[in-house]
Amino acid sequence: MENDLHIDQHISQRFNEELEDLRSKVLEMGGLVEQQVMDGTDALVNGDAELGAKVVERDTQVNAMEVAMDESCVEIIARRQPTASDLRLIVSIIKTITDLERIGDQAEKLGAFAVQLSDKGVSADKYSNLENISSKALAVLRKALDAFARMDHEAALEAAKMDEKVDQEYEAILRQVMTYMMEDPREIKKAMRVLWAARALERIGDHAKNISEYVVYLVKGKDIRHLDSLPEAKSL
Amino acid sequence: MNNTEQIKRSLKKRYAKERRFRLYGLTAIVVSFLFLFTLLADITLKAIPAFTQAWVQLDVSFESDTLGLDNVNEQTINEGKFRKAVKSSTYNLFPDVSKRKQKKELSALVSGGAQYQIRDQLLDNPEWLGTTQTVWVKADDQLDVWLESDGELGKISEQQEQWIAALQEQDRIKRSFNTTLFTAGDSREPEQAGILGALVGSLLTLAVTLVLSITVGVATAIYLEIFAPQNRFTDFIEININNLAAVPSIIFGLLGLAIFISLFGVPRSTPLVGGLVLSLMTLPTIIVSSRAALKSVPPSLMEAALGLGASKMQAVFQHALPLAMPGILTGAIIGMAQALGETAPLLMIGMVAFIVDVPSGVLDAATVLPVQIYLWADSPERAFTAMTAAGILILLVFLVAMNSLAIVLRKRFERRW
Amino acid sequence: MSNNTDQQNTDLDQLVGETTGTPFLPDEKVKMSARNVDVFYADKQAIFDNSLDIGKNEVLAMIGPSGCGKSTFLRTLNRMNDTIPICRITGEIKLDDENIYGKDIDPVLLRARVGMVFQKPNPFPKSIYDNVAYGPRLHGLARNKADLDEIVVTSLKRAGLFDEVKDRLDASGTGLSGGQQQRLCIARTIAVSPEVILMDEPASALDPIATAIIEELIDELRQNFTIAIVTHSMQQAARVSQRTAYFHLGKLVEVGETNQIFTNPAHQLTENYITGRFG
Ligand SMILES: Nc1ncnc2c1ncn2[C@@H]1O[C@H](COP(=O)(O)OP(=O)(O)OP(=O)(O)O)[C@@H](O)[C@H]1O
Ligand SMILES: [Mg+2]
Repeated sequence: MENDLHIDQHISQRFNEELEDLRSKVLEMGGLVEQQVMDGTDALVNGDAELGAKVVERDTQVNAMEVAMDESCVEIIARRQPTASDLRLIVSIIKTITDLERIGDQAEKLGAFAVQLSDKGVSADKYSNLENISSKALAVLRKALDAFARMDHEAALEAAKMDEKVDQEYEAILRQVMTYMMEDPREIKKAMRVLWAARALERIGDHAKNISEYVVYLVKGKDIRHLDSLPEAKSL
Repeated sequence: MNNTEQIKRSLKKRYAKERRFRLYGLTAIVVSFLFLFTLLADITLKAIPAFTQAWVQLDVSFESDTLGLDNVNEQTINEGKFRKAVKSSTYNLFPDVSKRKQKKELSALVSGGAQYQIRDQLLDNPEWLGTTQTVWVKADDQLDVWLESDGELGKISEQQEQWIAALQEQDRIKRSFNTTLFTAGDSREPEQAGILGALVGSLLTLAVTLVLSITVGVATAIYLEIFAPQNRFTDFIEININNLAAVPSIIFGLLGLAIFISLFGVPRSTPLVGGLVLSLMTLPTIIVSSRAALKSVPPSLMEAALGLGASKMQAVFQHALPLAMPGILTGAIIGMAQALGETAPLLMIGMVAFIVDVPSGVLDAATVLPVQIYLWADSPERAFTAMTAAGILILLVFLVAMNSLAIVLRKRFERRW
Repeated sequence: MSNNTDQQNTDLDQLVGETTGTPFLPDEKVKMSARNVDVFYADKQAIFDNSLDIGKNEVLAMIGPSGCGKSTFLRTLNRMNDTIPICRITGEIKLDDENIYGKDIDPVLLRARVGMVFQKPNPFPKSIYDNVAYGPRLHGLARNKADLDEIVVTSLKRAGLFDEVKDRLDASGTGLSGGQQQRLCIARTIAVSPEVILMDEPASALDPIATAIIEELIDELRQNFTIAIVTHSMQQAARVSQRTAYFHLGKLVEVGETNQIFTNPAHQLTENYITGRFG
């Protein structure tokens, strides 16, 4: 009960429906974005230009969803003047979809890299170490979306914590790539591409972390962003 | 859409019902108006004769020796033999009348009050002493009635008829507006009787009633409505006040007799005691209507005043009372109208006595309009029938005047809020 | 009957519990304070053991469902409930550390210090001038006519009404529009220079413009007065107040900073009420 926002308990049935609709659309968008990230990574790692192109193309869908949901949110604010948990829900959703859209953009970038690289006939095996960071970033995203779906602030805190792993992974890739570059300057161009891809995945982790922070705000009404060691967050 | 049809059909019925109801209402108004009209017309017709008076012209000789007066002033005048002077001048109209019985019939044509009339005239014109003057004196009421009814009514013998015809020939009989009706008190003689005594009596009595019942009534209403705690005792008082309004008025008369006259020794037959008794009677009406008026003042105004730091007393007198005034006045009008028309309780306290003088204060014996009407209605003389009707008319005019005054007052007090 | 009330009391305690949030303020900030206030209408209890501080120069909004006792509580603050014979109050209410229900307190004086504006505009059926001058005249606040004029004009100005009525101060107060009447009532209240102003749904019958004018006025008045306002409009409470108190069935459920109450209320009942959920 603590974590349940009772969005189906308004006296106005229409309001209930609107909020439920919005919530499921966020999850739908989340699912789509997740798929994009997976496909983008796959395309890159397997050098699959076709899949990469598909990812790039599907990004317009993500963008359209963001615009549509933004509009719904504005409408709800104008007509319902939500307060308290409803207000937090709407605010979280607006922010969540922004981050989801950004994640979509990063996924699109991955897809675009895959297309470029396969054009130049670059072998994909150099990117295999991206699989690791990708799976970790995806885990953060999944956990955050899951926390959102269940309004579970504990899961959300876990997700935020998991992002540290993504950051560590990125650091590792950075060091690794730098060694490559120092060893063989001819590899610099290739190494830079890996680095950019890794950078995109790291950003995806950050956006996912943001989403999980919105979930904490949504459920607890506390803003835990930019708290360095999250001591307060832990007290929740 | 068949709903519309259904509504349309029922609408027709509803409108028909409405029209029928309006018709009933109109009929009721017409009927009551007819009743009222008949009543007023009847009274007015009957009253008309009372407003005119027949006069006979006499040549009165104011010789010192016939009157037995040497000079004229306030003290001596009452010793004058004016009765004889009137008689002899009446006989002089028809010198050939000599029989005692005929003489008596002849002098009966002139009012018994003629002697006082010429006495007063002489007092006003002392230089008339020793001269003979032509004066108009009032005719007897029988002659008056006979003239007004074109010979149908009034005890007039054949002999008298001839004299009247002769006098009319000589223009010695005239009829004019009866000012006595408005300037004199009661009298056994219809031609000398007036309503002024009763009118003043009524005014004085009502003044006493008004002052007493409004002050006491409004104070009671304010206390009960605003200050009194809500408990058994105040409930009991409230019920009693409401019941008091239904008590037969004669009971109040008995009460007045027992308490005001016997116990407190207030002089009987006076406007004071009449006013006291009528106050008792009108108090419930005024209290009930004043309370209703106070209740209808929006409580928000009282609250506003209290919220600004007015005391309860200030809130009542500065806000509630002025707004309740129209309602209170309406109650007062109804109460006063009731009091004005009341007879029964006044009979019990002696206001039914035969009083000739116009009262000059609340402690003078007096009678009131309805009682006067009752007295006249009871008198055997023919002329009093018309006087009764005239009395009723005057009472009605008085009532209407009083109500109009109250309505004007109410209009001035009435304010929107 | 008292059994019944006790029963009701325990039920309510289970549902609501202790008042959540911050009903109390640091001593130096307190203007009025209520402690353990119970109000009864005859045998029926309308307010259950409520304690609350109202801070100096703050606007406190009181919200809650109809019949929850907001007006009743508000009216205990200037003893307006004294005028209802069946109303009985226990507990303690202080104005500047003085118990207003104490023996030596005159309710008439108290009401001059704690003014009230009512839900329905209730100008006296007198001229605009006389409406505003009523209080000062009553308490002899003006030494002469010029003084009184001054008070009337400044009060009308502060209520934001002067420009609209300056040419017709002799016209009837009841001839004004609803919003103007309400501002007239506010002018009438501030003409007495009270320390605290209580407002019971002052804008409930007004259009958005008149409401906005009155809300702006409340914000301005806060510099000199302490204000407690009852309102049914969540937005209004959110706009004008610094602290908000939520009442439920006669019980003070939650008090807190308005921002907090409207973004993250601590009590489920508050949340349900302000978001329009079944309570
Ligand atoms: N004069 C009174 N006599 C008896 N009971 C009363 C009286 N005034 C209020 N009550 C009762 O006290 C309770 C609280 O009423 P109050 O007027 O304080 O509610 P409120 O919160 O102001 O409601 P609203 O928002 O509708 O104005 C209600 O149950 C009401 O029935
Ligand atoms: Mg109320």
